Amino acid sequence: MAVSDNNKEYVHIKPKEQFDFFHDERVRSVFYQFLIAAAVGWFVWYLASNTAQNLEARGMHTGFRFLKVAAGFDSSFKLISNEPGVGTYGRIFIIGVLNTLYISALAIILSTILGFFIGVLRLSNNWLVAKVALAYVEIFRNTPVLIQIIFWYIGVFSLLPKVKNSIDLSGGAGVLLLNNRGLYMSWPIPGDLLWLTGVTIIIAVIAVVILRRWAQNRQDKTGQIFPTFIVSAALLIFLPGIVYFMTGMPIDWDIPKLEGFNFVGGASLPPSFMALLFALIIYHASYMAEMVRAGILSVDKGQDEAARSIGLRKKRSMSLVIIPQAMPAIIPPMISNWMSTIKNSSLAIAIGYPDLVSLFMQTSLNQAGYAVELVGMTMAFYMFVSLTISWLLNIYNKRVQLVER
Amino acid sequence: MAIIKAVKTPALPAPLSETSVIGWMKNNLFSSVFNGLLTIATLYIVYIAVKGLWTWGLVDAVWVAENRRECFSINPDGACWAGIFAWVDNIFYGRYPREELWRINLGILSLFIWMIPLWLPRVKAKISIGLTTVFLYPFLAGYLFSGGDKGIFMQIMLTAAIVCLAGNTIHATIGVFTGRSLPEFLSSLFGKKKIHEKTQRNIFLGIIALSFVLIYVWQMSWSLGGVSWTKWGGLFLTFVVSGIGIASALPGGIILALGRRSNLPVARVLSTSFIELFRSVPLITVLFMATTMFPLFMPEGFVLNKLVQVIIAVCLFNACYMAETVRGGLQTIPKGQFEGGHTIGLGYWQTMGLIIMPQALKRMIPNIVGNFISLLKDTTLVSIIGLFDVLTMLRAIGKDRTWLGLHLEPLVFGALLFFLLCFAMSKYSRHLEVKLSTNHNN
Repeated sequence: MAVSDNNKEYVHIKPKEQFDFFHDERVRSVFYQFLIAAAVGWFVWYLASNTAQNLEARGMHTGFRFLKVAAGFDSSFKLISNEPGVGTYGRIFIIGVLNTLYISALAIILSTILGFFIGVLRLSNNWLVAKVALAYVEIFRNTPVLIQIIFWYIGVFSLLPKVKNSIDLSGGAGVLLLNNRGLYMSWPIPGDLLWLTGVTIIIAVIAVVILRRWAQNRQDKTGQIFPTFIVSAALLIFLPGIVYFMTGMPIDWDIPKLEGFNFVGGASLPPSFMALLFALIIYHASYMAEMVRAGILSVDKGQDEAARSIGLRKKRSMSLVIIPQAMPAIIPPMISNWMSTIKNSSLAIAIGYPDLVSLFMQTSLNQAGYAVELVGMTMAFYMFVSLTISWLLNIYNKRVQLVER
Repeated sequence: MAIIKAVKTPALPAPLSETSVIGWMKNNLFSSVFNGLLTIATLYIVYIAVKGLWTWGLVDAVWVAENRRECFSINPDGACWAGIFAWVDNIFYGRYPREELWRINLGILSLFIWMIPLWLPRVKAKISIGLTTVFLYPFLAGYLFSGGDKGIFMQIMLTAAIVCLAGNTIHATIGVFTGRSLPEFLSSLFGKKKIHEKTQRNIFLGIIALSFVLIYVWQMSWSLGGVSWTKWGGLFLTFVVSGIGIASALPGGIILALGRRSNLPVARVLSTSFIELFRSVPLITVLFMATTMFPLFMPEGFVLNKLVQVIIAVCLFNACYMAETVRGGLQTIPKGQFEGGHTIGLGYWQTMGLIIMPQALKRMIPNIVGNFISLLKDTTLVSIIGLFDVLTMLRAIGKDRTWLGLHLEPLVFGALLFFLLCFAMSKYSRHLEVKLSTNHNN
């Protein structure tokens, strides 16, 4: 009896599942999303239909057939050959892409090196050096890069002496000349047996890798330090050098010669290229320097002190303890700085360096029309580059996080 | 035998080698041979650079001249600042009609009057002042700058802006002297008679309505001549474009960032792709897109002028950058803050507006100001697509007949101008960061 009484007491009353349609979170979320999607969809459709109407009204053609049409102009600077009037718009696109990538790659490499250098100077215990580095950073970060580009172009590279009075940067050898038409340099022409030197370089690199592993292993086991740097440098320089001389120096130099009013032969870079390169290097190095500084400062001071206390010298502590730990803090902003270097190289348009934007979005657009396609292709290129870089960055971040645990 | 002194021995002063100038120099400049050499080398480089700039820019410079030839005849080695002085109106105001320049000055002055209360410590209701600056000032400035016929909407907004400006100023003055707000002060004017709160509010609203009507009638009596946007230029145009960009980037960025962090997949995907689209392309391509594609986007017969196209492009571009900054700030807020907000029964928007955003915005100040600085610098790009901004005006000096070939000095002047603006902004942000910091750890 008592048992049944107890049972009665514990009968569960199921709470009434109240399904309130208007106050249910899921219903609301679906409703809001539908609203957003409808609004955006309508807006896009509205723009697209307007565009179609306008294109028709103006008698403009669409489609990508124009890429196979010969372009009536030529690029003043190009890495692949092109004949004006024969080369197509597709080829102009490739020339533009290569020009953009070429100058961005150079600017990225050099600005990273300069930025690292200045970032370290910024932390120097020499007061004067630190202040000069700070002044550099503040001056170049706080002025528009466009003004800097134009300054280098008009204020420096256009004021250089004329062709006849070129400045010889190689000290009288005539292989590196600078004048107001650009930088002229000798260009190597490979001879018959040059491949032997190439093979030797590869062998030397492999040898260096093996040597470093061996030295690392030995140091781990015995604690003896092998002078890897000097030995590998010697390997890399002397091995190919000997082969190069033994095969009879198979490189001819195409030296620029003054003919008429200009230099002929060799390779040359136009002043607009030099100006843009200098401006990008100096501007982005100032950002880079701050990132390096912030990264190094983010490493706990105790790390350096511990390294010093186990007998590492200042330089070794920096390269073995501080920098490796600062890298995860430096690399993500550094890569976004690289990205903005690529983007800022599009300012070439202000000084006439034929990059993608200036060739494709300006000249081609004025000549051929096809606004939607040209704008779309140019933006797609930059988006492709940026997405590739952020994909690589994500991979890197994951690896760093794994190491950190 | 130990000697015990009853009196504490005074501490010796630090040795001279630590405190004197020479000691400081030894520690900071000549701590080692290498450092000493480095110091001397740096000193030499600095000396060369500063001396070169000094003689070019100040000692040998020509300050008064009629044209560039005269500059050359006075001193061919120095800078020719006379050209800058001759063009200073053009640099600041572009081609704006010279007899109407007071309108720009008045517009800038009224912005200052409007915003000064934000810096005065005793003034209350700063948020409303800030909001009215963002929402009403543009109408006042817009009418002052462009003029022309006032439509009925413009008349109302203009009146509202003037009323608000007057109210703000009175409110701020009272605030500075008495530390009270305007409504409090008004009610205290009626003496000790206890008036019901509702009546107080009615009186206050009545005064506002009355002044609104009065100013509305007054503003109907005058109108300004129209100035086409094509006449806008110089630093003024740069400020207009970047000002609108700054004012709209923050709200736009907040919305996009919230969209990107939202639980709704559709909102998330759309905001993410929008942000990534604009962040991965250079600003100049966005500007070109604006000038070539926006006309195609518009329905037939509807023409956006170039300035509006550029402003829209700049706003979209900067909203996306700001969105990433805001997202970064939101990520620093611990999850407990969201949960805490929900626990005390706040909804999504209340949690965001009352708990998350105030904390996040405070942490984001350096980055937000950094964004503003880069926006100001990026505004020079509008010169490429043919607006007469400050850079265009600076480059035009060298093409002017009397100052033909004067290229370098205008650029240096422009660089200096931007440097002062941007440097001041970054220093101020640093100050604000310290002032607003509630972190008691350090």
